[in-house]
Amino acid sequence: MSDAEIVRRVRAGDTAAFAVLVARYRDRLGRYAVHMLGDREDAEEVVQDAFVRAYRSLVRCEEDRFGPWLFGILVNRCRTAGRRATRRHRLFVRDDVSLARTPAVEATDRADWDETVRWALGRLAPVLREAFLLKHVEDMEYDEMARYTGAGVSALKMRVKRACERLRALLTEVERV
Amino acid sequence: MFERDDDVLERVVERLRAPIEMDPTLDARVMVRVARTSRGLDWLARGWEWLRRPRDLAITPLAAAGAVAVLAGLAVWLGSRAAAPATRPGTDTTVVQFILVAPSAASVSVVGDFNDWDATTTPMRPVRSGGIWSVTIPLPAGRHRYAFLVDGSRWLADPSAPRAPDDFGTPSSIVTVGG
Repeated sequence: MSDAEIVRRVRAGDTAAFAVLVARYRDRLGRYAVHMLGDREDAEEVVQDAFVRAYRSLVRCEEDRFGPWLFGILVNRCRTAGRRATRRHRLFVRDDVSLARTPAVEATDRADWDETVRWALGRLAPVLREAFLLKHVEDMEYDEMARYTGAGVSALKMRVKRACERLRALLTEVERV
Repeated sequence: MFERDDDVLERVVERLRAPIEMDPTLDARVMVRVARTSRGLDWLARGWEWLRRPRDLAITPLAAAGAVAVLAGLAVWLGSRAAAPATRPGTDTTVVQFILVAPSAASVSVVGDFNDWDATTTPMRPVRSGGIWSVTIPLPAGRHRYAFLVDGSRWLADPSAPRAPDDFGTPSSIVTVGG
Protein backbone atom coordinates (compact mmCIF):
# COMPACT_ATOMS: atom_id res chain seq x y z
CA MET A 1 0.00 0.00 0.00
CA SER A 2 1.43 3.39 -0.96
CA ASP A 3 2.08 6.20 1.52
CA ALA A 4 -0.65 8.26 -0.14
CA GLU A 5 -3.25 5.53 0.37
CA ILE A 6 -2.30 5.17 4.01
CA VAL A 7 -2.41 8.92 4.55
CA ARG A 8 -5.92 8.98 3.08
CA ARG A 9 -7.00 6.13 5.38
CA VAL A 10 -5.60 7.84 8.48
CA ARG A 11 -7.28 11.09 7.54
CA ALA A 12 -10.54 9.19 7.14
CA GLY A 13 -10.27 8.04 10.75
CA ASP A 14 -8.26 4.81 10.55
CA THR A 15 -5.71 5.77 13.20
CA ALA A 16 -4.24 2.26 13.32
CA ALA A 17 -3.09 2.60 9.69
CA PHE A 18 -0.57 5.18 10.90
CA ALA A 19 1.39 2.29 12.42
CA VAL A 20 2.32 1.18 8.90
CA LEU A 21 3.96 4.55 8.26
CA VAL A 22 5.74 4.39 11.61
CA ALA A 23 7.16 0.95 10.78
CA ARG A 24 8.09 2.07 7.28
CA TYR A 25 10.01 5.20 8.28
CA ARG A 26 11.18 4.42 11.83
CA ASP A 27 14.65 3.13 10.98
CA ARG A 28 15.48 5.78 8.41
CA LEU A 29 14.47 8.55 10.79
CA GLY A 30 16.25 6.80 13.64
CA ARG A 31 19.48 6.56 11.66
CA TYR A 32 19.54 10.28 10.93
CA ALA A 33 18.62 11.21 14.51
CA VAL A 34 21.21 8.88 16.06
CA HIS A 35 23.99 10.25 13.85
CA MET A 36 22.85 13.84 14.29
CA LEU A 37 22.42 13.75 18.06
CA GLY A 38 24.99 11.10 18.93
CA ASP A 39 22.72 9.62 21.56
CA ARG A 40 20.26 6.81 21.01
CA GLU A 41 17.83 7.82 23.78
CA ASP A 42 17.67 11.40 22.55
CA ALA A 43 17.21 10.08 19.02
CA GLU A 44 14.28 7.86 20.02
CA GLU A 45 12.61 10.76 21.77
CA VAL A 46 13.00 12.97 18.73
CA VAL A 47 11.73 10.30 16.34
CA GLN A 48 8.66 9.71 18.50
CA ASP A 49 8.03 13.41 18.62
CA ALA A 50 8.37 13.76 14.85
CA PHE A 51 5.79 11.00 14.23
CA VAL A 52 3.30 12.46 16.70
CA ARG A 53 3.66 15.94 15.22
CA ALA A 54 3.24 14.48 11.74
CA TYR A 55 0.05 12.74 12.83
CA ARG A 56 -1.37 15.93 14.33
CA SER A 57 -0.57 17.91 11.18
CA LEU A 58 -1.40 15.21 8.64
CA VAL A 59 -4.10 17.35 7.11
CA ARG A 60 -1.36 19.70 5.87
CA CYS A 61 0.67 16.96 4.19
CA GLU A 62 0.57 16.46 0.43
CA GLU A 63 -0.43 12.82 0.15
CA ASP A 64 2.34 11.82 -2.25
CA ARG A 65 5.06 13.62 -0.30
CA PHE A 66 4.63 12.09 3.12
CA GLY A 67 8.22 10.80 3.38
CA PRO A 68 10.01 14.09 2.58
CA TRP A 69 7.50 16.03 4.67
CA LEU A 70 8.05 13.77 7.67
CA PHE A 71 11.81 14.00 7.24
CA GLY A 72 11.57 17.79 7.28
CA ILE A 73 9.80 17.61 10.63
CA LEU A 74 12.57 15.35 11.95
CA VAL A 75 15.35 17.69 10.78
CA ASN A 76 13.74 20.53 12.70
CA ARG A 77 13.18 18.40 15.79
CA CYS A 78 16.86 17.40 15.73
CA ARG A 79 17.87 21.06 15.56
CA THR A 80 15.78 21.86 18.61
CA ALA A 81 17.04 18.82 20.51
CA GLY A 82 20.60 19.60 19.48
CA ARG A 83 20.36 23.11 20.87
CA ARG A 84 19.05 21.75 24.15
CA ALA A 85 21.89 19.22 24.25
CA THR A 86 24.39 21.96 23.49
CA ARG A 87 23.11 23.99 26.42
CA ARG A 88 23.22 20.89 28.62
CA HIS A 89 26.80 20.14 27.66
CA ARG A 90 27.82 23.72 28.25
CA LEU A 91 26.66 23.38 31.82
CA PHE A 92 29.09 20.57 32.44
CA VAL A 93 32.04 21.28 30.17
CA ARG A 94 33.52 24.43 31.55
CA ASP A 95 36.91 24.22 29.90
CA ASP A 96 36.10 24.02 26.22
CA VAL A 97 39.58 25.13 25.17
CA SER A 98 41.30 22.29 26.99
CA LEU A 99 38.77 19.86 25.62
CA ALA A 100 39.37 21.02 22.08
CA ARG A 101 43.13 20.55 22.53
CA THR A 102 42.78 17.03 23.86
CA PRO A 103 44.86 14.91 21.48
CA ALA A 104 43.27 12.12 19.52
CA VAL A 105 45.16 9.52 21.54
CA GLU A 106 41.97 8.22 23.02
CA ALA A 107 40.63 7.58 19.57
CA THR A 108 43.73 5.66 18.49
CA ASP A 109 42.91 3.03 21.05
CA ARG A 110 39.49 2.44 19.57
CA ALA A 111 39.63 -0.80 17.64
CA ASP A 112 36.12 -0.34 16.50
CA TRP A 113 35.74 1.66 13.32
CA ASP A 114 32.11 2.38 14.18
CA GLU A 115 33.16 4.06 17.36
CA THR A 116 35.84 6.04 15.56
CA VAL A 117 33.35 7.32 13.01
CA ARG A 118 30.93 8.25 15.77
CA TRP A 119 33.69 10.08 17.58
CA ALA A 120 34.74 12.03 14.48
CA LEU A 121 31.14 12.89 13.59
CA GLY A 122 30.58 14.16 17.10
CA ARG A 123 33.48 16.56 16.72
CA LEU A 124 31.88 18.31 13.77
CA ALA A 125 29.92 21.48 14.42
CA PRO A 126 26.19 20.66 14.26
CA VAL A 127 25.73 22.72 11.14
CA LEU A 128 28.47 20.78 9.34
CA ARG A 129 27.26 17.43 10.65
CA GLU A 130 23.74 18.18 9.43
CA ALA A 131 24.90 19.15 5.94
CA PHE A 132 27.19 16.11 5.65
CA LEU A 133 24.49 13.67 6.73
CA LEU A 134 21.83 15.13 4.46
CA LYS A 135 24.14 15.17 1.44
CA HIS A 136 26.17 12.01 1.73
CA VAL A 137 24.13 9.71 3.95
CA GLU A 138 20.58 10.69 3.02
CA ASP A 139 21.74 11.33 -0.56
CA MET A 140 19.81 14.55 -1.02
CA GLU A 141 20.17 17.15 -3.73
CA TYR A 142 21.24 20.59 -2.58
CA ASP A 143 17.87 22.10 -3.50
CA GLU A 144 16.13 19.64 -1.23
CA MET A 145 18.61 20.32 1.57
CA ALA A 146 17.94 24.04 1.19
CA ARG A 147 14.22 23.45 1.72
CA TYR A 148 14.90 21.51 4.92
CA THR A 149 17.52 23.80 6.41
CA GLY A 150 16.65 27.26 5.14
CA ALA A 151 20.26 27.77 4.06
CA GLY A 152 21.30 28.71 0.54
CA VAL A 153 22.73 26.15 -1.85
CA SER A 154 26.18 27.77 -1.94
CA ALA A 155 26.32 27.87 1.86
CA LEU A 156 25.36 24.21 2.01
CA LYS A 157 28.04 23.26 -0.51
CA MET A 158 30.57 25.07 1.63
CA ARG A 159 29.36 23.28 4.77
CA VAL A 160 29.61 19.88 3.10
CA LYS A 161 33.10 20.71 1.86
CA ARG A 162 34.22 21.83 5.31
CA ALA A 163 32.66 18.76 6.92
CA CYS A 164 34.54 16.48 4.52
CA GLU A 165 37.81 18.28 5.18
CA ARG A 166 37.34 18.10 8.93
CA LEU A 167 36.38 14.42 8.89
CA ARG A 168 39.27 13.59 6.61
CA ALA A 169 41.69 15.39 8.91
CA LEU A 170 40.34 13.72 12.04
CA LEU A 171 40.27 10.21 10.63
CA THR A 172 43.57 10.44 8.78
CA GLU A 173 45.18 11.49 12.03
CA VAL A 174 43.66 8.52 13.81
CA GLU A 175 44.73 6.06 11.12
CA ARG A 176 48.27 7.41 11.05
CA VAL A 177 48.84 6.84 14.76
CA MET B 1 31.06 10.79 -4.81
CA PHE B 2 34.46 11.69 -3.39
CA GLU B 3 37.85 12.21 -4.95
CA ARG B 4 40.13 9.28 -5.63
CA ASP B 5 42.13 9.72 -2.42
CA ASP B 6 39.01 9.94 -0.27
CA ASP B 7 38.84 6.29 0.59
CA VAL B 8 38.47 7.23 4.24
CA LEU B 9 35.34 9.29 3.53
CA GLU B 10 33.89 6.49 1.41
CA ARG B 11 34.29 4.21 4.40
CA VAL B 12 32.69 6.77 6.71
CA VAL B 13 29.66 7.08 4.46
CA GLU B 14 29.40 3.32 4.07
CA ARG B 15 29.36 3.00 7.84
CA LEU B 16 26.84 5.80 8.34
CA ARG B 17 24.49 4.43 5.68
CA ALA B 18 24.29 1.09 7.42
CA PRO B 19 20.80 0.49 8.79
CA ILE B 20 20.21 1.21 12.45
CA GLU B 21 17.54 -0.81 14.16
CA MET B 22 15.60 1.22 16.64
CA ASP B 23 14.09 -0.14 19.84
CA PRO B 24 11.26 -2.51 18.78
CA THR B 25 8.97 -0.91 21.35
CA LEU B 26 9.30 2.45 19.64
CA ASP B 27 6.35 1.78 17.31
CA ALA B 28 4.10 0.93 20.22
CA ARG B 29 5.15 4.03 22.15
CA VAL B 30 4.47 6.21 19.12
CA MET B 31 1.05 4.65 18.59
CA VAL B 32 0.09 5.14 22.24
CA ARG B 33 0.83 8.84 21.89
CA VAL B 34 -0.95 8.95 18.54
CA ALA B 35 -4.02 7.28 20.06
CA ARG B 36 -4.10 9.84 22.86
CA THR B 37 -3.79 12.63 20.31
CA SER B 38 -6.46 10.99 18.20
CA ARG B 39 -8.93 10.87 21.10
CA GLY B 40 -8.33 14.56 21.71
CA LEU B 41 -8.81 15.39 18.04
CA ASP B 42 -11.95 13.22 17.86
CA TRP B 43 -13.42 15.09 20.79
CA LEU B 44 -12.67 18.40 19.12
CA ALA B 45 -14.13 17.17 15.83
CA ARG B 46 -17.33 15.99 17.54
CA GLY B 47 -17.64 19.28 19.38
CA TRP B 48 -17.12 21.23 16.18
CA GLU B 49 -19.69 19.07 14.38
CA TRP B 50 -22.19 19.64 17.20
CA LEU B 51 -21.69 23.38 16.96
CA ARG B 52 -22.08 23.41 13.16
CA ARG B 53 -25.20 21.25 12.98
CA PRO B 54 -28.32 23.42 12.37
CA ARG B 55 -31.20 22.90 14.77
CA ASP B 56 -34.52 24.54 15.64
CA LEU B 57 -34.66 26.27 18.98
CA ALA B 58 -37.77 27.28 20.88
CA ILE B 59 -36.99 30.31 23.05
CA THR B 60 -39.20 32.57 25.13
CA PRO B 61 -38.99 36.37 24.73
CA LEU B 62 -37.66 36.60 28.29
CA ALA B 63 -34.83 34.13 27.58
CA ALA B 64 -34.04 35.96 24.33
CA ALA B 65 -33.75 39.24 26.24
CA GLY B 66 -31.42 37.56 28.74
CA ALA B 67 -29.26 36.19 25.93
CA VAL B 68 -29.00 39.64 24.34
CA ALA B 69 -27.97 41.12 27.70
CA VAL B 70 -25.26 38.46 28.15
CA LEU B 71 -23.91 39.06 24.64
CA ALA B 72 -23.85 42.81 25.19
CA GLY B 73 -21.97 42.33 28.46
CA LEU B 74 -19.51 40.03 26.73
CA ALA B 75 -18.93 42.59 23.97
CA VAL B 76 -18.20 45.32 26.54
CA TRP B 77 -15.84 43.02 28.43
CA LEU B 78 -13.95 42.03 25.28
CA GLY B 79 -13.68 45.69 24.29
CA SER B 80 -12.13 46.60 27.64
CA ARG B 81 -9.70 43.68 27.32
CA ALA B 82 -8.54 44.83 23.91
CA ALA B 83 -7.61 48.21 25.36
CA ALA B 84 -5.68 46.65 28.23
CA PRO B 85 -1.87 46.48 28.28
CA ALA B 86 -0.33 43.61 26.34
CA THR B 87 1.00 41.96 29.48
CA ARG B 88 -1.54 39.66 31.03
CA PRO B 89 -2.08 40.52 34.70
CA GLY B 90 -0.98 37.79 37.07
CA THR B 91 0.96 35.92 34.39
CA ASP B 92 4.40 36.16 32.86
CA THR B 93 3.13 36.03 29.31
CA THR B 94 2.98 39.01 27.02
CA VAL B 95 1.12 39.27 23.77
CA VAL B 96 3.60 39.95 20.99
CA GLN B 97 2.75 40.93 17.44
CA PHE B 98 5.06 39.85 14.64
CA ILE B 99 4.88 41.77 11.38
CA LEU B 100 6.67 41.18 8.10
CA VAL B 101 6.33 43.03 4.82
CA ALA B 102 6.63 40.42 2.09
CA PRO B 103 4.57 41.45 -0.96
CA SER B 104 5.55 38.50 -3.12
CA ALA B 105 5.04 35.82 -0.47
CA ALA B 106 2.28 33.25 -0.79
CA SER B 107 2.63 32.14 2.82
CA VAL B 108 4.58 33.25 5.88
CA SER B 109 4.91 31.71 9.31
CA VAL B 110 6.85 32.50 12.44
CA VAL B 111 9.20 29.79 13.66
CA GLY B 112 11.11 29.99 16.90
CA ASP B 113 12.14 28.30 20.08
CA PHE B 114 8.65 29.01 21.44
CA ASN B 115 7.04 26.70 18.87
CA ASP B 116 9.93 24.28 18.43
CA TRP B 117 10.70 25.81 15.02
CA ASP B 118 7.60 24.13 13.65
CA ALA B 119 6.49 25.82 10.43
CA THR B 120 2.90 24.73 10.85
CA THR B 121 2.23 26.07 14.35
CA THR B 122 2.17 29.85 13.86
CA PRO B 123 1.06 30.86 10.35
CA MET B 124 0.85 34.61 9.68
CA ARG B 125 -2.11 36.25 7.99
CA PRO B 126 -2.09 38.94 5.33
CA VAL B 127 -3.60 41.94 7.08
CA ARG B 128 -4.02 44.38 4.20
CA SER B 129 -2.88 45.07 0.68
CA GLY B 130 0.82 45.76 0.31
CA GLY B 131 1.98 42.38 1.48
CA ILE B 132 1.88 42.94 5.22
CA TRP B 133 1.76 39.72 7.22
CA SER B 134 0.96 39.60 10.90
CA VAL B 135 0.37 37.26 13.77
CA THR B 136 -0.13 37.88 17.47
CA ILE B 137 0.84 35.28 20.05
CA PRO B 138 1.39 35.15 23.81
CA LEU B 139 5.00 34.57 24.82
CA PRO B 140 6.46 33.83 28.25
CA ALA B 141 8.99 36.24 29.73
CA GLY B 142 12.53 35.80 28.50
CA ARG B 143 14.61 35.95 25.36
CA HIS B 144 13.21 34.11 22.35
CA ARG B 145 14.90 33.31 19.09
CA TYR B 146 12.76 33.35 15.97
CA ALA B 147 12.68 33.78 12.21
CA PHE B 148 10.15 34.13 9.42
CA LEU B 149 9.64 31.22 7.05
CA VAL B 150 8.48 32.52 3.67
CA ASP B 151 6.76 30.18 1.20
CA GLY B 152 7.81 27.21 3.28
CA SER B 153 11.46 27.41 2.29
CA ARG B 154 13.02 30.86 2.73
CA TRP B 155 14.19 31.82 6.23
CA LEU B 156 14.37 35.51 7.05
CA ALA B 157 15.53 37.27 10.16
CA ASP B 158 13.27 40.05 11.39
CA PRO B 159 14.73 43.22 9.87
CA SER B 160 13.40 45.26 12.79
CA ALA B 161 14.90 43.13 15.60
CA PRO B 162 18.39 42.25 16.85
CA ARG B 163 20.03 39.38 15.01
CA ALA B 164 20.78 36.17 16.88
CA PRO B 165 23.85 34.00 16.51
CA ASP B 166 22.67 30.66 15.19
CA ASP B 167 24.42 27.33 15.49
CA PHE B 168 23.03 26.32 12.12
CA GLY B 169 23.90 29.46 10.20
CA THR B 170 20.32 30.30 9.31
CA PRO B 171 19.23 33.86 10.01
CA SER B 172 17.22 34.48 13.15
CA SER B 173 16.32 37.31 15.48
CA ILE B 174 15.85 37.92 19.18
CA VAL B 175 12.76 39.21 20.95
CA THR B 176 12.96 39.94 24.66
CA VAL B 177 9.70 39.68 26.57
CA GLY B 178 9.27 41.24 30.00
CA GLY B 179 12.17 42.41 32.15
